[in-house]
Amino acid sequence: MSELTIAMPKGRIFEEAYQMLIEAGFNLPAEVEMSRKLMIEIPEEHIRFILAKPMDVPVYVEHGVADIGIAGKDVLLEQQREVHELLDLKISSCYIASAGLPQTTMDEVAPRIATKYPHIAMKYYKGIGEQVEIIELNGSIELAPMIGLADRIVDIVSTGRTLKENGLVEYEHIADISSRLIANPVSYRMKASRILDLAARLKQTVKEND
Amino acid sequence: MSSIKMFEKPLGMRDTFPQIFNKTEKIREVTKHFLQIRGYDFIKTPSVEYYDTIGRASAIQDASLFKLFDNQGNTLVLRPDMTTPIIRVASSKLLKEKTPLRLAYFANVFRAQEFEGGRPAEFEQMGIELIGDTTVFADAEVIATAIELLQAIGLQEFKITIGHAGILQCVLTDYTESAEEAAQLRELLVKRNYVGFEEAVESFDLPKAKSDALMQFINEATNLTRLEEIEKYVRKNEALQYMRELANLLDVAELADYIDFDFTLSSHMNYYTGMLFEVFASGSGFALGNGGRYDGLLHEFGVATGATGFGIRVDRLLEILPLPTIEKQNVLVLFDAEAFGAALQQTKQLRAQGYHTTLQNKSEVCEDMHALYERVIVVTKDGEIQ
Repeated sequence: MSELTIAMPKGRIFEEAYQMLIEAGFNLPAEVEMSRKLMIEIPEEHIRFILAKPMDVPVYVEHGVADIGIAGKDVLLEQQREVHELLDLKISSCYIASAGLPQTTMDEVAPRIATKYPHIAMKYYKGIGEQVEIIELNGSIELAPMIGLADRIVDIVSTGRTLKENGLVEYEHIADISSRLIANPVSYRMKASRILDLAARLKQTVKEND
Repeated sequence: MSSIKMFEKPLGMRDTFPQIFNKTEKIREVTKHFLQIRGYDFIKTPSVEYYDTIGRASAIQDASLFKLFDNQGNTLVLRPDMTTPIIRVASSKLLKEKTPLRLAYFANVFRAQEFEGGRPAEFEQMGIELIGDTTVFADAEVIATAIELLQAIGLQEFKITIGHAGILQCVLTDYTESAEEAAQLRELLVKRNYVGFEEAVESFDLPKAKSDALMQFINEATNLTRLEEIEKYVRKNEALQYMRELANLLDVAELADYIDFDFTLSSHMNYYTGMLFEVFASGSGFALGNGGRYDGLLHEFGVATGATGFGIRVDRLLEILPLPTIEKQNVLVLFDAEAFGAALQQTKQLRAQGYHTTLQNKSEVCEDMHALYERVIVVTKDGEIQ
Protein backbone atom coordinates (compact mmCIF):
# COMPACT_ATOMS: atom_id res chain seq x y z
CA MET A 1 0.00 0.00 0.00
CA SER A 2 1.34 3.45 -0.85
CA GLU A 3 1.98 5.94 1.93
CA LEU A 4 -0.54 8.73 2.23
CA THR A 5 0.46 12.11 3.65
CA ILE A 6 -2.38 14.22 4.98
CA ALA A 7 -1.94 17.89 5.81
CA MET A 8 -4.15 18.96 8.71
CA PRO A 9 -4.74 22.32 10.32
CA LYS A 10 -3.68 22.38 13.96
CA GLY A 11 -6.27 22.71 16.68
CA ARG A 12 -10.00 22.06 16.76
CA ILE A 13 -10.41 21.16 13.08
CA PHE A 14 -7.74 18.50 13.45
CA GLU A 15 -9.61 16.89 16.32
CA GLU A 16 -12.95 16.93 14.49
CA ALA A 17 -11.50 15.62 11.24
CA TYR A 18 -9.49 12.99 13.11
CA GLN A 19 -12.69 11.82 14.79
CA MET A 20 -14.36 11.61 11.40
CA LEU A 21 -11.57 9.41 10.08
CA ILE A 22 -12.06 7.07 13.06
CA GLU A 23 -15.80 6.98 12.36
CA ALA A 24 -15.01 6.22 8.72
CA GLY A 25 -13.31 3.06 9.94
CA PHE A 26 -9.66 4.04 9.90
CA ASN A 27 -7.59 2.26 12.49
CA LEU A 28 -6.24 5.30 14.34
CA PRO A 29 -5.27 5.49 18.02
CA ALA A 30 -8.18 7.02 19.97
CA GLU A 31 -5.92 9.43 21.82
CA VAL A 32 -3.20 11.16 19.92
CA GLU A 33 -0.48 12.93 21.77
CA MET A 34 -0.42 16.36 20.15
CA SER A 35 1.95 18.45 22.28
CA ARG A 36 4.41 20.11 19.96
CA LYS A 37 4.73 17.43 17.35
CA LEU A 38 4.40 18.50 13.73
CA MET A 39 4.23 15.00 12.27
CA ILE A 40 2.27 11.97 13.37
CA GLU A 41 2.93 8.56 11.83
CA ILE A 42 0.20 5.90 11.76
CA PRO A 43 2.05 2.85 10.45
CA GLU A 44 -1.01 0.56 10.70
CA GLU A 45 -2.84 2.60 8.09
CA HIS A 46 0.22 3.82 6.15
CA ILE A 47 -0.85 7.36 6.94
CA ARG A 48 1.23 10.32 8.02
CA PHE A 49 -0.33 13.50 9.31
CA ILE A 50 1.48 16.78 9.04
CA LEU A 51 0.20 19.59 11.20
CA ALA A 52 0.28 23.01 9.61
CA LYS A 53 -1.19 26.46 10.02
CA PRO A 54 -4.66 26.44 8.45
CA MET A 55 -3.58 29.01 5.84
CA ASP A 56 -0.66 26.78 4.82
CA VAL A 57 -2.50 23.50 4.23
CA PRO A 58 -3.27 24.24 0.53
CA VAL A 59 0.39 25.17 -0.01
CA TYR A 60 1.60 21.74 1.14
CA VAL A 61 -1.05 20.04 -0.99
CA GLU A 62 -0.45 22.13 -4.10
CA HIS A 63 3.24 21.28 -4.03
CA GLY A 64 2.49 17.62 -3.52
CA VAL A 65 4.42 17.16 -0.27
CA ALA A 66 1.04 16.29 1.19
CA ASP A 67 -1.22 14.14 -0.99
CA ILE A 68 -4.43 15.37 0.52
CA GLY A 69 -5.39 17.89 3.16
CA ILE A 70 -8.18 19.49 5.08
CA ALA A 71 -8.59 23.18 4.45
CA GLY A 72 -11.19 25.82 5.13
CA LYS A 73 -13.12 27.10 2.13
CA ASP A 74 -12.07 30.62 3.20
CA VAL A 75 -8.43 29.72 2.61
CA LEU A 76 -9.24 28.08 -0.73
CA LEU A 77 -11.18 31.12 -1.89
CA GLU A 78 -8.42 33.46 -0.78
CA GLN A 79 -5.48 31.61 -2.31
CA GLN A 80 -6.87 30.10 -5.53
CA ARG A 81 -4.40 27.23 -5.57
CA GLU A 82 -4.26 24.36 -8.00
CA VAL A 83 -5.82 21.62 -5.89
CA HIS A 84 -8.85 19.40 -6.36
CA GLU A 85 -11.72 20.08 -4.02
CA LEU A 86 -13.14 16.65 -3.29
CA LEU A 87 -15.53 16.79 -0.39
CA ASP A 88 -17.35 19.15 1.94
CA LEU A 89 -16.74 17.76 5.43
CA LYS A 90 -19.42 20.05 6.88
CA ILE A 91 -17.31 20.76 9.97
CA SER A 92 -16.41 24.18 11.38
CA SER A 93 -19.20 25.76 9.38
CA CYS A 94 -19.31 29.53 9.35
CA TYR A 95 -19.50 32.29 6.76
CA ILE A 96 -17.70 35.33 5.51
CA ALA A 97 -19.57 38.60 5.90
CA SER A 98 -18.99 42.30 5.92
CA ALA A 99 -19.60 44.18 9.13
CA GLY A 100 -19.30 47.68 10.51
CA LEU A 101 -20.61 50.10 13.10
CA PRO A 102 -24.43 50.14 13.24
CA GLN A 103 -26.33 52.54 10.98
CA THR A 104 -23.34 53.73 9.04
CA THR A 105 -23.03 54.16 5.30
CA MET A 106 -19.80 53.57 3.49
CA ASP A 107 -17.62 56.52 2.58
CA GLU A 108 -18.60 57.74 -0.88
CA VAL A 109 -15.22 58.17 -2.50
CA ALA A 110 -13.34 55.02 -1.61
CA PRO A 111 -14.53 53.25 1.51
CA ARG A 112 -11.82 51.39 3.40
CA ILE A 113 -12.26 47.69 4.02
CA ALA A 114 -10.11 45.97 6.64
CA THR A 115 -9.71 42.23 6.26
CA LYS A 116 -7.59 39.12 6.63
CA TYR A 117 -8.89 38.09 3.19
CA PRO A 118 -7.81 40.79 0.72
CA HIS A 119 -8.49 38.65 -2.33
CA ILE A 120 -11.99 37.59 -1.30
CA ALA A 121 -12.88 41.15 -0.28
CA MET A 122 -11.55 42.66 -3.51
CA LYS A 123 -13.41 40.13 -5.62
CA TYR A 124 -16.65 40.69 -3.74
CA TYR A 125 -16.61 44.48 -4.01
CA LYS A 126 -15.48 44.34 -7.64
CA GLY A 127 -18.39 42.01 -8.31
CA ILE A 128 -20.94 44.47 -6.96
CA GLY A 129 -19.26 47.42 -8.68
CA GLU A 130 -18.10 49.16 -5.50
CA GLN A 131 -14.76 50.99 -5.52
CA VAL A 132 -12.97 50.29 -2.27
CA GLU A 133 -9.55 50.40 -0.68
CA ILE A 134 -8.51 47.13 0.93
CA ILE A 135 -6.44 47.19 4.10
CA GLU A 136 -4.89 43.87 5.02
CA LEU A 137 -4.71 43.07 8.73
CA ASN A 138 -3.58 39.89 10.46
CA GLY A 139 -5.96 39.76 13.39
CA SER A 140 -8.26 41.73 15.70
CA ILE A 141 -10.03 42.95 12.58
CA GLU A 142 -12.96 44.24 14.68
CA LEU A 143 -10.72 47.00 15.93
CA ALA A 144 -10.57 48.71 12.53
CA PRO A 145 -14.07 50.27 12.38
CA MET A 146 -14.03 51.03 16.10
CA ILE A 147 -11.06 53.34 15.87
CA GLY A 148 -11.85 54.66 12.39
CA LEU A 149 -9.31 52.78 10.29
CA ALA A 150 -11.99 51.27 8.04
CA ASP A 151 -15.68 51.65 7.18
CA ARG A 152 -16.27 47.93 6.96
CA ILE A 153 -14.49 44.73 7.76
CA VAL A 154 -14.71 41.46 5.85
CA ASP A 155 -14.21 38.51 8.16
CA ILE A 156 -15.33 35.08 9.27
CA VAL A 157 -18.51 34.98 11.37
CA SER A 158 -19.44 31.82 13.23
CA THR A 159 -21.69 32.81 16.13
CA GLY A 160 -21.63 36.57 15.74
CA ARG A 161 -20.57 37.00 19.35
CA THR A 162 -17.27 38.70 18.63
CA LEU A 163 -19.02 41.25 16.43
CA LYS A 164 -21.65 41.94 19.07
CA GLU A 165 -19.15 42.31 21.90
CA ASN A 166 -17.34 44.94 19.87
CA GLY A 167 -20.50 46.80 18.93
CA LEU A 168 -20.46 45.85 15.27
CA VAL A 169 -23.32 44.65 13.08
CA GLU A 170 -23.29 42.40 10.07
CA TYR A 171 -24.09 43.96 6.68
CA GLU A 172 -23.59 41.58 3.77
CA HIS A 173 -23.29 37.79 3.62
CA ILE A 174 -20.44 36.98 1.23
CA ALA A 175 -19.80 33.22 1.22
CA ASP A 176 -20.52 30.08 3.20
CA ILE A 177 -17.48 28.37 4.66
CA SER A 178 -16.74 24.88 5.90
CA SER A 179 -13.79 22.50 5.89
CA ARG A 180 -13.02 20.73 2.63
CA LEU A 181 -11.04 17.67 1.68
CA ILE A 182 -8.55 18.71 -1.00
CA ALA A 183 -6.13 16.68 -3.09
CA ASN A 184 -2.98 17.28 -5.08
CA PRO A 185 -3.68 16.72 -8.81
CA VAL A 186 -0.76 14.32 -9.25
CA SER A 187 -1.46 12.32 -6.08
CA TYR A 188 -5.10 12.17 -7.12
CA ARG A 189 -3.95 10.13 -10.13
CA MET A 190 -0.95 8.27 -8.82
CA LYS A 191 -2.60 7.26 -5.53
CA ALA A 192 -6.10 7.18 -6.96
CA SER A 193 -7.37 4.07 -5.20
CA ARG A 194 -6.31 5.22 -1.72
CA ILE A 195 -7.59 8.76 -2.10
CA LEU A 196 -10.90 7.74 -3.67
CA ASP A 197 -11.42 5.13 -0.95
CA LEU A 198 -10.76 7.68 1.78
CA ALA A 199 -13.01 10.26 0.13
CA ALA A 200 -15.85 7.76 -0.30
CA ARG A 201 -15.64 6.61 3.33
CA LEU A 202 -15.56 10.17 4.61
CA LYS A 203 -18.49 11.05 2.39
CA GLN A 204 -20.47 8.26 3.99
CA THR A 205 -19.54 9.57 7.45
CA VAL A 206 -20.58 13.11 6.50
CA LYS A 207 -23.93 11.76 5.32
CA GLU A 208 -24.48 9.80 8.54
CA ASN A 209 -23.63 12.79 10.73
CA ASP A 210 -25.91 15.07 8.77
CA MET B 1 10.35 51.54 -5.87
CA SER B 2 13.41 49.86 -4.50
CA SER B 3 16.46 49.87 -6.70
CA ILE B 4 17.42 46.72 -8.58
CA LYS B 5 20.43 44.88 -7.22
CA MET B 6 23.31 43.93 -9.48
CA PHE B 7 22.66 40.22 -9.22
CA GLU B 8 18.88 40.39 -9.51
CA LYS B 9 16.93 38.86 -12.37
CA PRO B 10 13.40 39.69 -13.53
CA LEU B 11 10.65 37.85 -11.67
CA GLY B 12 10.53 34.15 -12.49
CA MET B 13 13.72 34.10 -14.60
CA ARG B 14 16.33 31.48 -13.76
CA ASP B 15 19.96 30.74 -14.50
CA THR B 16 20.77 27.24 -15.66
CA PHE B 17 23.91 25.94 -13.97
CA PRO B 18 26.23 23.40 -15.66
CA GLN B 19 24.83 20.33 -13.91
CA ILE B 20 21.24 21.13 -14.90
CA PHE B 21 22.36 22.18 -18.35
CA ASN B 22 23.93 18.73 -18.84
CA LYS B 23 20.83 17.03 -17.53
CA THR B 24 18.62 19.00 -19.92
CA GLU B 25 20.95 18.21 -22.82
CA LYS B 26 20.72 14.53 -22.01
CA ILE B 27 16.90 14.66 -22.11
CA ARG B 28 17.09 16.64 -25.33
CA GLU B 29 19.38 14.05 -26.96
CA VAL B 30 17.18 11.13 -26.00
CA THR B 31 14.04 12.98 -27.11
CA LYS B 32 15.53 14.07 -30.39
CA HIS B 33 16.62 10.59 -31.34
CA PHE B 34 13.38 9.04 -30.09
CA LEU B 35 11.15 11.36 -32.10
CA GLN B 36 13.28 11.50 -35.24
CA ILE B 37 13.20 7.75 -35.75
CA ARG B 38 9.41 7.98 -35.50
CA GLY B 39 9.26 10.42 -38.38
CA TYR B 40 8.94 13.68 -36.46
CA ASP B 41 10.84 16.71 -37.75
CA PHE B 42 12.05 19.31 -35.29
CA ILE B 43 11.33 22.93 -35.97
CA LYS B 44 12.07 26.28 -34.34
CA THR B 45 9.89 29.38 -34.34
CA PRO B 46 10.64 32.94 -33.18
CA SER B 47 10.50 33.82 -29.48
CA VAL B 48 8.45 36.90 -30.26
CA GLU B 49 5.13 36.78 -32.11
CA TYR B 50 2.18 39.09 -32.73
CA TYR B 51 -0.36 39.27 -29.94
CA ASP B 52 -3.22 39.35 -32.45
CA THR B 53 -2.30 36.02 -34.01
CA ILE B 54 -0.46 33.92 -31.44
CA GLY B 55 -1.33 35.62 -28.16
CA ARG B 56 -5.06 35.63 -28.70
CA ALA B 57 -5.28 32.11 -30.09
CA SER B 58 -3.00 30.58 -27.46
CA ALA B 59 -4.37 28.36 -24.70
CA ILE B 60 -2.56 30.46 -22.12
CA GLN B 61 -4.50 33.05 -20.16
CA ASP B 62 -4.08 36.65 -21.19
CA ALA B 63 -2.76 37.69 -17.78
CA SER B 64 0.19 35.29 -18.12
CA LEU B 65 1.44 36.74 -21.40
CA PHE B 66 4.56 38.89 -21.59
CA LYS B 67 3.53 41.74 -23.85
CA LEU B 68 5.69 44.29 -25.58
CA PHE B 69 5.41 46.76 -28.47
CA ASP B 70 7.38 46.97 -31.68
CA ASN B 71 8.38 50.32 -33.19
CA GLN B 72 5.17 50.46 -35.25
CA GLY B 73 3.00 50.14 -32.18
CA ASN B 74 1.93 46.49 -32.71
CA THR B 75 1.51 44.42 -29.59
CA LEU B 76 3.92 41.49 -29.41
CA VAL B 77 4.09 38.53 -27.06
CA LEU B 78 6.90 36.28 -25.94
CA ARG B 79 5.57 32.90 -27.08
CA PRO B 80 3.59 31.36 -24.24
CA ASP B 81 3.36 27.92 -25.88
CA MET B 82 4.60 26.17 -29.02
CA THR B 83 1.37 24.71 -30.36
CA THR B 84 -0.01 27.98 -31.70
CA PRO B 85 3.20 29.07 -33.50
CA ILE B 86 3.52 25.60 -35.05
CA ILE B 87 -0.05 25.75 -36.29
CA ARG B 88 0.72 29.18 -37.75
CA VAL B 89 3.70 27.79 -39.71
CA ALA B 90 1.82 24.67 -40.71
CA SER B 91 -1.28 26.44 -41.95
CA SER B 92 0.63 29.11 -43.87
CA LYS B 93 3.31 26.93 -45.44
CA LEU B 94 4.17 23.39 -44.36
CA LEU B 95 0.75 21.78 -44.84
CA LYS B 96 0.88 22.74 -48.51
CA GLU B 97 4.05 20.67 -48.89
CA LYS B 98 3.14 17.58 -46.91
CA THR B 99 0.07 16.12 -45.21
CA PRO B 100 -0.10 14.78 -42.60
CA LEU B 101 2.70 16.66 -40.89
CA ARG B 102 4.65 15.33 -37.94
CA LEU B 103 6.46 18.14 -36.13
CA ALA B 104 8.38 18.21 -32.87
CA TYR B 105 9.90 20.94 -30.74
CA PHE B 106 12.14 21.50 -27.74
CA ALA B 107 11.83 25.17 -26.88
CA ASN B 108 11.58 27.69 -24.10
CA VAL B 109 8.22 29.35 -23.50
CA PHE B 110 7.29 32.34 -21.36
CA ARG B 111 4.47 32.72 -18.87
CA ALA B 112 4.40 35.60 -16.42
CA GLN B 113 3.86 34.63 -12.79
CA GLU B 114 1.36 36.43 -10.64
CA PHE B 115 2.04 34.75 -7.32
CA GLU B 116 5.07 33.61 -5.37
CA GLY B 117 8.15 35.02 -7.02
CA GLY B 118 10.28 31.93 -7.47
CA ARG B 119 8.16 30.01 -9.93
CA PRO B 120 9.67 29.87 -13.39
CA ALA B 121 8.30 32.35 -15.92
CA GLU B 122 10.50 30.91 -18.66
CA PHE B 123 10.84 27.18 -19.02
CA GLU B 124 11.53 24.53 -21.59
CA GLN B 125 8.83 22.49 -23.15
CA MET B 126 9.00 19.60 -25.55
CA GLY B 127 6.31 17.99 -27.58
CA ILE B 128 4.87 16.92 -30.87
CA GLU B 129 2.06 18.01 -33.16
CA LEU B 130 0.48 15.66 -35.69
CA ILE B 131 -1.36 17.86 -38.14
CA GLY B 132 -3.68 16.86 -40.97
CA ASP B 133 -4.86 13.47 -39.74
CA THR B 134 -8.37 13.55 -38.29
CA THR B 135 -8.64 9.83 -37.56
CA VAL B 136 -8.43 8.06 -34.22
CA PHE B 137 -5.10 6.54 -35.26
CA ALA B 138 -3.45 9.94 -34.94
CA ASP B 139 -4.70 10.34 -31.37
CA ALA B 140 -3.55 6.83 -30.50
CA GLU B 141 -0.14 7.59 -31.99
CA VAL B 142 0.19 10.77 -29.94
CA ILE B 143 -0.69 9.05 -26.67
CA ALA B 144 1.53 6.07 -27.43
CA THR B 145 4.39 8.41 -28.33
CA ALA B 146 3.97 10.29 -25.04
CA ILE B 147 4.08 7.07 -23.03
CA GLU B 148 7.04 5.58 -24.86
CA LEU B 149 8.95 8.86 -24.77
CA LEU B 150 8.61 9.05 -20.99
CA GLN B 151 9.79 5.45 -20.75
CA ALA B 152 12.76 6.23 -22.98
CA ILE B 153 13.70 9.17 -20.76
CA GLY B 154 13.70 6.84 -17.78
CA LEU B 155 10.45 7.62 -16.02
CA GLN B 156 8.83 4.68 -14.30
CA GLU B 157 5.79 5.80 -12.39
CA PHE B 158 3.47 7.86 -14.52
CA LYS B 159 -0.13 7.95 -15.67
CA ILE B 160 -2.02 9.38 -18.60
CA THR B 161 -5.57 10.44 -17.88
CA ILE B 162 -7.80 10.70 -20.93
CA GLY B 163 -11.12 12.48 -21.32
CA HIS B 164 -13.26 13.66 -24.19
CA ALA B 165 -14.76 17.13 -24.52
CA GLY B 166 -17.63 15.80 -26.62
CA ILE B 167 -18.70 13.18 -24.09
CA LEU B 168 -18.59 15.67 -21.23
CA GLN B 169 -20.61 18.15 -23.26
CA CYS B 170 -23.15 15.44 -24.03
CA VAL B 171 -23.54 14.51 -20.35
CA LEU B 172 -23.81 18.14 -19.23
CA THR B 173 -26.36 19.02 -21.90
CA ASP B 174 -28.47 15.92 -21.39
CA TYR B 175 -28.78 16.25 -17.64
CA THR B 176 -29.28 20.00 -17.29
CA GLU B 177 -32.14 22.23 -18.39
CA SER B 178 -30.24 25.09 -19.99
CA ALA B 179 -26.98 25.95 -21.70
CA GLU B 180 -26.10 28.31 -18.83
CA GLU B 181 -26.33 25.51 -16.29
CA ALA B 182 -24.14 23.29 -18.45
CA ALA B 183 -21.60 26.09 -18.85
CA GLN B 184 -21.53 26.74 -15.11
CA LEU B 185 -20.87 23.07 -14.37
CA ARG B 186 -18.15 22.93 -16.99
CA GLU B 187 -16.49 25.97 -15.43
CA LEU B 188 -16.44 24.21 -12.04
CA LEU B 189 -14.89 21.11 -13.59
CA VAL B 190 -12.12 23.18 -15.19
CA LYS B 191 -11.29 24.32 -11.64
CA ARG B 192 -11.66 20.75 -10.37
CA ASN B 193 -14.12 21.90 -7.77
CA TYR B 194 -16.21 18.79 -7.24
CA VAL B 195 -17.82 20.19 -4.10
CA GLY B 196 -18.91 23.25 -6.07
CA PHE B 197 -20.27 20.97 -8.79
CA GLU B 198 -22.50 19.11 -6.34
CA GLU B 199 -23.67 22.36 -4.75
CA ALA B 200 -24.49 23.81 -8.17
CA VAL B 201 -26.44 20.69 -9.17
CA GLU B 202 -28.48 20.97 -5.97
CA SER B 203 -29.13 24.66 -6.55
CA PHE B 204 -30.45 24.08 -10.10
CA ASP B 205 -33.53 22.28 -8.82
CA LEU B 206 -33.39 19.70 -11.60
CA PRO B 207 -35.73 16.73 -11.92
CA LYS B 208 -34.52 14.04 -9.54
CA ALA B 209 -33.49 11.62 -12.27
CA LYS B 210 -31.21 14.24 -13.81
CA SER B 211 -29.61 15.48 -10.60
CA ASP B 212 -29.05 11.92 -9.39
CA ALA B 213 -27.37 11.07 -12.67
CA LEU B 214 -25.06 14.10 -12.41
CA MET B 215 -24.17 13.30 -8.79
CA GLN B 216 -23.34 9.74 -9.72
CA PHE B 217 -21.40 10.91 -12.75
CA ILE B 218 -19.19 13.22 -10.69
CA ASN B 219 -18.53 10.42 -8.22
CA GLU B 220 -17.64 7.78 -10.72
CA ALA B 221 -16.42 9.37 -13.93
CA THR B 222 -13.24 10.93 -12.52
CA ASN B 223 -11.40 7.68 -12.33
CA LEU B 224 -12.28 4.89 -14.68
CA THR B 225 -9.94 2.14 -15.69
CA ARG B 226 -12.39 0.67 -18.16
CA LEU B 227 -14.30 2.60 -20.76
CA GLU B 228 -17.47 0.53 -20.40
CA GLU B 229 -18.12 2.17 -17.04
CA ILE B 230 -19.05 5.46 -18.70
CA GLU B 231 -21.55 4.00 -21.12
CA LYS B 232 -24.51 4.11 -18.80
CA TYR B 233 -24.31 7.92 -18.66
CA VAL B 234 -24.03 8.66 -22.33
CA ARG B 235 -26.43 7.96 -25.14
CA LYS B 236 -24.81 6.26 -28.09
CA ASN B 237 -22.92 8.88 -30.05
CA GLU B 238 -19.88 9.43 -32.22
CA ALA B 239 -17.67 10.60 -29.37
CA LEU B 240 -18.29 7.44 -27.39
CA GLN B 241 -17.63 5.31 -30.44
CA TYR B 242 -14.42 7.27 -30.99
CA MET B 243 -13.22 6.64 -27.45
CA ARG B 244 -14.01 2.95 -27.81
CA GLU B 245 -11.80 2.77 -30.84
CA LEU B 246 -9.06 4.75 -29.11
CA ALA B 247 -9.14 2.47 -26.07
CA ASN B 248 -9.01 -0.50 -28.36
CA LEU B 249 -5.98 0.82 -30.25
CA LEU B 250 -4.12 1.53 -27.01
CA ASP B 251 -4.94 -2.01 -25.93
CA VAL B 252 -3.46 -3.36 -29.15
CA ALA B 253 -0.35 -1.27 -28.46
CA GLU B 254 -0.20 -2.86 -24.96
CA LEU B 255 -0.23 0.49 -23.21
CA ALA B 256 -3.46 0.11 -21.24
CA ASP B 257 -1.55 -0.06 -17.93
CA TYR B 258 -0.53 3.57 -18.18
CA ILE B 259 -3.98 4.86 -18.91
CA ASP B 260 -7.13 5.75 -17.09
CA PHE B 261 -10.15 7.73 -18.11
CA ASP B 262 -11.66 10.81 -16.55
CA PHE B 263 -14.70 12.12 -18.36
CA THR B 264 -14.90 15.18 -16.14
CA LEU B 265 -11.59 16.38 -17.61
CA SER B 266 -12.16 19.80 -19.09
CA SER B 267 -9.98 22.58 -20.41
CA HIS B 268 -10.64 26.31 -20.28
CA MET B 269 -9.94 26.47 -24.01
CA ASN B 270 -12.87 25.75 -26.30
CA TYR B 271 -10.75 24.58 -29.18
CA TYR B 272 -10.13 21.25 -27.50
CA THR B 273 -12.99 19.62 -29.33
CA GLY B 274 -12.20 15.95 -28.98
CA MET B 275 -10.14 13.76 -26.72
CA LEU B 276 -7.78 15.46 -24.31
CA PHE B 277 -5.33 14.12 -21.76
CA GLU B 278 -3.06 15.03 -18.88
CA VAL B 279 0.24 13.47 -17.88
CA PHE B 280 1.13 12.89 -14.23
CA ALA B 281 4.24 11.39 -12.68
CA SER B 282 5.32 10.59 -9.13
CA GLY B 283 8.03 12.92 -7.95
CA SER B 284 6.49 16.22 -8.91
CA GLY B 285 3.45 17.82 -7.31
CA PHE B 286 2.42 19.37 -10.60
CA ALA B 287 1.13 17.86 -13.84
CA LEU B 288 3.95 16.97 -16.21
CA GLY B 289 2.15 17.89 -19.37
CA ASN B 290 -1.00 17.65 -21.39
CA GLY B 291 -2.30 17.17 -24.86
CA GLY B 292 -5.27 16.44 -27.00
CA ARG B 293 -7.04 17.05 -30.27
CA TYR B 294 -7.46 20.71 -31.15
CA ASP B 295 -9.14 20.84 -34.54
CA GLY B 296 -10.75 24.11 -33.43
CA LEU B 297 -7.38 25.91 -33.43
CA LEU B 298 -6.76 24.96 -37.05
CA HIS B 299 -10.17 26.26 -37.98
CA GLU B 300 -9.18 29.58 -36.42
CA PHE B 301 -6.23 29.67 -38.81
CA GLY B 302 -8.54 28.90 -41.71
CA VAL B 303 -7.53 25.28 -42.29
CA ALA B 304 -10.26 22.65 -42.45
CA THR B 305 -8.35 19.71 -41.07
CA GLY B 306 -7.45 18.39 -37.64
CA ALA B 307 -4.46 18.23 -35.37
CA THR B 308 -3.45 16.49 -32.19
CA GLY B 309 -0.36 16.61 -29.99
CA PHE B 310 1.14 16.95 -26.55
CA GLY B 311 3.58 19.09 -24.60
CA ILE B 312 5.77 18.06 -21.66
CA ARG B 313 7.34 20.53 -19.23
CA VAL B 314 11.06 19.90 -19.13
CA ASP B 315 11.54 21.76 -15.83
CA ARG B 316 9.23 19.30 -14.11
CA LEU B 317 10.98 16.34 -15.74
CA LEU B 318 14.24 17.67 -14.33
CA GLU B 319 12.68 17.70 -10.89
CA ILE B 320 11.72 14.02 -11.18
CA LEU B 321 14.76 12.52 -12.88
CA PRO B 322 17.95 11.79 -10.93
CA LEU B 323 21.14 13.51 -11.99
CA PRO B 324 22.84 11.51 -14.75
CA THR B 325 26.02 9.72 -13.75
CA ILE B 326 28.88 11.20 -15.66
CA GLU B 327 31.27 8.66 -17.09
CA LYS B 328 33.71 11.01 -18.76
CA GLN B 329 37.14 11.38 -17.24
CA ASN B 330 38.27 14.90 -16.47
CA VAL B 331 41.95 15.76 -16.68
CA LEU B 332 43.58 18.97 -15.54
CA VAL B 333 46.86 19.99 -17.14
CA LEU B 334 48.72 22.66 -15.17
CA PHE B 335 51.68 24.40 -16.70
CA ASP B 336 54.44 26.80 -15.77
CA ALA B 337 54.51 29.79 -18.05
CA GLU B 338 57.79 28.59 -19.66
CA ALA B 339 56.39 25.13 -20.43
CA PHE B 340 53.30 26.25 -22.34
CA GLY B 341 54.38 24.59 -25.59
CA ALA B 342 54.98 21.19 -24.00
CA ALA B 343 51.71 21.40 -22.05
CA LEU B 344 49.76 22.27 -25.20
CA GLN B 345 51.23 19.23 -26.92
CA GLN B 346 50.26 17.02 -24.00
CA THR B 347 46.72 18.45 -23.92
CA LYS B 348 46.17 17.88 -27.61
CA GLN B 349 47.11 14.22 -27.23
CA LEU B 350 44.77 13.73 -24.28
CA ARG B 351 41.87 15.42 -26.06
CA ALA B 352 42.46 13.25 -29.11
CA GLN B 353 42.13 10.20 -26.83
CA GLY B 354 38.77 11.48 -25.73
CA TYR B 355 39.61 12.89 -22.29
CA HIS B 356 37.95 16.09 -21.22
CA THR B 357 41.07 18.11 -20.72
CA THR B 358 41.39 21.52 -19.14
CA LEU B 359 44.55 23.53 -19.75
CA GLN B 360 45.35 25.98 -16.98
CA ASN B 361 48.20 28.27 -15.99
CA LYS B 362 49.52 26.91 -12.68
CA SER B 363 50.06 30.27 -11.00
CA GLU B 364 46.32 31.09 -11.01
CA VAL B 365 45.13 27.82 -9.47
CA CYS B 366 43.70 27.52 -6.00
CA GLU B 367 44.20 24.23 -4.16
CA ASP B 368 40.57 22.93 -4.25
CA MET B 369 40.53 22.88 -8.03
CA HIS B 370 42.47 19.58 -7.98
CA ALA B 371 39.66 17.77 -6.20
CA LEU B 372 37.29 18.29 -9.14
CA TYR B 373 39.44 16.27 -11.56
CA GLU B 374 40.19 12.57 -11.77
CA ARG B 375 43.73 13.20 -12.94
CA VAL B 376 46.04 16.16 -12.60
CA ILE B 377 49.16 16.56 -14.72
CA VAL B 378 51.67 19.27 -13.97
CA VAL B 379 54.07 20.36 -16.70
CA THR B 380 56.99 22.26 -15.20
CA LYS B 381 59.73 24.13 -17.02
CA ASP B 382 62.18 21.24 -16.38
CA GLY B 383 60.00 18.34 -17.42
CA GLU B 384 56.81 16.56 -16.53
CA ILE B 385 55.45 15.44 -13.18
CA GLN B 386 52.16 13.67 -12.67
